[in-house]
Amino acid sequence: MKGSIRPLTFSALGIAAVLVIWQVLAEAKVAGNALPPATTVFSTLATILGTATFWSSLGATIGIALLALALSAVAGVILGLLVGTFETVRFATLAVLEFLKPVPPIVILPLAVLVLGPTGEMSLFLVVFGCLLPIVMQTVDGVQSTDPVARDTARSYGMREPEILARVVLPSAMPYIGTAMRVAAPAALVVTVVAGLLGGGPGLGQSIYQAQAAGDYASLYGMVIVLGVLGLLFQGATRLAERRVLHWHESYREVMP
Amino acid sequence: MSIRQAPSLSTRNRKSAMAQQPETRINATTPRLDVAHLAKSYGSGEKSHAVIEDLTFTVDAGEVVCIVGPSGVGKTTLLKCLAGLHPASSGRAAIDGRPISGPPREMALVFQDYNRSLMPWLTVRKNLVLPLRHLKLPAAELKERCDSALAAVGLSHADNQYSWQLSGGMQQRVAIARALAYRPEILIMDEPFASVDAQTRFDLEDLCLKIRKDFNMTILVVTHDIDEAVYLADRVVVLGSKPARVLKIVGVDLPAPRDQITTRSLPEFARQRTEVLSLIKRPV
Amino acid sequence: MRNWLIGAGAPVLLLVAWWFLSESSLDPFFPPLRTIVGRFQELWLFEHFQSDVLLSLGNLFLGFAIAAFAGIAIGFVTALVPPVRWMVDPLIHFLRGIPPVALVPIFISLIGFGTQMRVTSIALAALFPTMIATVDGIRGVGNDLMDVARVYRLTRRERVLNILLPAAAPQIFSGLQVSLQVAFIVMIASEMLGSSQGIGAMTLLAQQSFMTADMWAGILLLGVIGFLVNVLFSLLRRKVLSWYIGSRRMARAA
Repeated sequence: MKGSIRPLTFSALGIAAVLVIWQVLAEAKVAGNALPPATTVFSTLATILGTATFWSSLGATIGIALLALALSAVAGVILGLLVGTFETVRFATLAVLEFLKPVPPIVILPLAVLVLGPTGEMSLFLVVFGCLLPIVMQTVDGVQSTDPVARDTARSYGMREPEILARVVLPSAMPYIGTAMRVAAPAALVVTVVAGLLGGGPGLGQSIYQAQAAGDYASLYGMVIVLGVLGLLFQGATRLAERRVLHWHESYREVMP
Repeated sequence: MSIRQAPSLSTRNRKSAMAQQPETRINATTPRLDVAHLAKSYGSGEKSHAVIEDLTFTVDAGEVVCIVGPSGVGKTTLLKCLAGLHPASSGRAAIDGRPISGPPREMALVFQDYNRSLMPWLTVRKNLVLPLRHLKLPAAELKERCDSALAAVGLSHADNQYSWQLSGGMQQRVAIARALAYRPEILIMDEPFASVDAQTRFDLEDLCLKIRKDFNMTILVVTHDIDEAVYLADRVVVLGSKPARVLKIVGVDLPAPRDQITTRSLPEFARQRTEVLSLIKRPV
Repeated sequence: MRNWLIGAGAPVLLLVAWWFLSESSLDPFFPPLRTIVGRFQELWLFEHFQSDVLLSLGNLFLGFAIAAFAGIAIGFVTALVPPVRWMVDPLIHFLRGIPPVALVPIFISLIGFGTQMRVTSIALAALFPTMIATVDGIRGVGNDLMDVARVYRLTRRERVLNILLPAAAPQIFSGLQVSLQVAFIVMIASEMLGSSQGIGAMTLLAQQSFMTADMWAGILLLGVIGFLVNVLFSLLRRKVLSWYIGSRRMARAA
């Protein structure tokens, strides 16, 4: 018991120290009005939490991120199974996938805004663009890692290809897909915010942009804090979901980086 | 390199490779390694859990002593206390009469898991060099130490390879060579040959005896293999569990030089191993 | 052989198809590839090369370098000094929950729109992945390795530089790779949000003024940079971690 109290004390001290330093620096006006005191930020945040606008942008952010995530998951797994199963398709797409993999969605943001306008569809498109590829590539890796013995066994029992795909290949690719989803979920939130901040899509990103443009720094800081908490919730939820769904898998622990 | 005039305990002529410590007087009653009433427990208060309770034995200069006992008896804990990695809870462990409070300079340790104790990012030679860097030796001596250590274990050809490119037995040779290049006076080995195949095991056992002869080293080996202990040792310390304590110290009286085939087929060898085995097997 | 032909042929075919299908395009959003390539040459080779391309790349590398060094250094201190770890742990976890790009408006409000703001944003946002990976890497270093270091009486400096750093290197490099991606994203975002200079700013300006071909040229350039930077990093990783990659391959084969 005694051992766990010390870390907690230090954690509390750390947080308290940061808050105090923040407050002192802000009171001293080191950055003019651009750094509002912690107390002001938290009281502003409390006010914001009471407004309907805030909850609707929060809802928009979460809604877009989750919808895009679901779309990416379904499309990504199907595409991944396709690419991973047929060698010709895999080689034909290899160069394009490898080129696009390190290109973040923010690169095509101007194009998306140009064609779709500052809309929810634009945000959705960007998030899917960002999440789809990692899921496809992880699924391909998962398909490739299927034990050939298991595949041959299934074939010798007279299973047909679609059945093998669903019963043997997909389950053994699951840990890879799980890893991809764990990475994709926080990324979906990030891209949704970027699309709002830079492209004017609905949600908290847009609210941050408006707060900054209007010089409403207390709201700006408040929104960023909300995003931090939201990000943590997203990470926690995906970890939990992954553990729930994949706890049965023997190779699950190995796949964890 | 000066040859230390140590009043010899054993009949062997000690020509210590390093260590010029005239201030450490060794007299006829001081063993190299002295363990007296050593105890080690983890945790404190009511939850404390004794791993070792009251161990007493000595290792004389130039001797090979094997510690045998059932697995999980706390042999590794004992070695970590002797190597100065863990402090003892009570009792004492001393080198040449000096209590061990941290890793002693004159001691080297060969670990059981060669693949977890060699640096995978270094080549074989650089693995040997790493412990020597802070000694700031002249380049020629550094090279000579590594060359002779690698030659002693028969790995002169492999010095530019990474350890993970070698077989398990060869990796354990690298670990032994690293210890040799460090020029210790006391070599401690923790189940050194437990994870290699039988043939390699025989080779490494003979390597161990050759090192004792060539470098006149004091060697302490922990093993769970009774045959190995009898084959290698001048004396065998038989441990019982739990917590660990000394059941008996068995003097092994087999002629030198020892040989895997002739020594192991001696009636005396069979008698000694039966004695050790019956001590371990005896219900306690 | 056939597979490699397909692999090399498919992207070429794609580009050729794009070239000819867009040849007579009048769609304002999708101009002919010929026009895009033309504008690419005029804009980036080399009229705006120094003023914008080098500026962006300079910010990217400076910010990333600061993030890398600071991330590894802070990671070491955090991992090796428990009180520091307890103190910063909750803060780190909170800060990494924030989308890195969302920090840019705060830095704009604090530092303004200059180069300094952009480098600061990049460095701070890219710091966390490296730092967290460094902490994880050090904590994952095996006890046996540290026992070896103690038995052979390595100095503290040797333990840090010759044992912990290389042993944690594989994880540090994973962190650095993520940091590099974050740095690239924040580079673009910081230019799009508050600047008239840099590739991101030029691309967004082109979009806002409906100079579609210029925008496409910017997107192409950013895509190529993102790809090349990643390739360079992978080459560096392969060189530095050749021992790790080799030993992993060996372990898998066994």
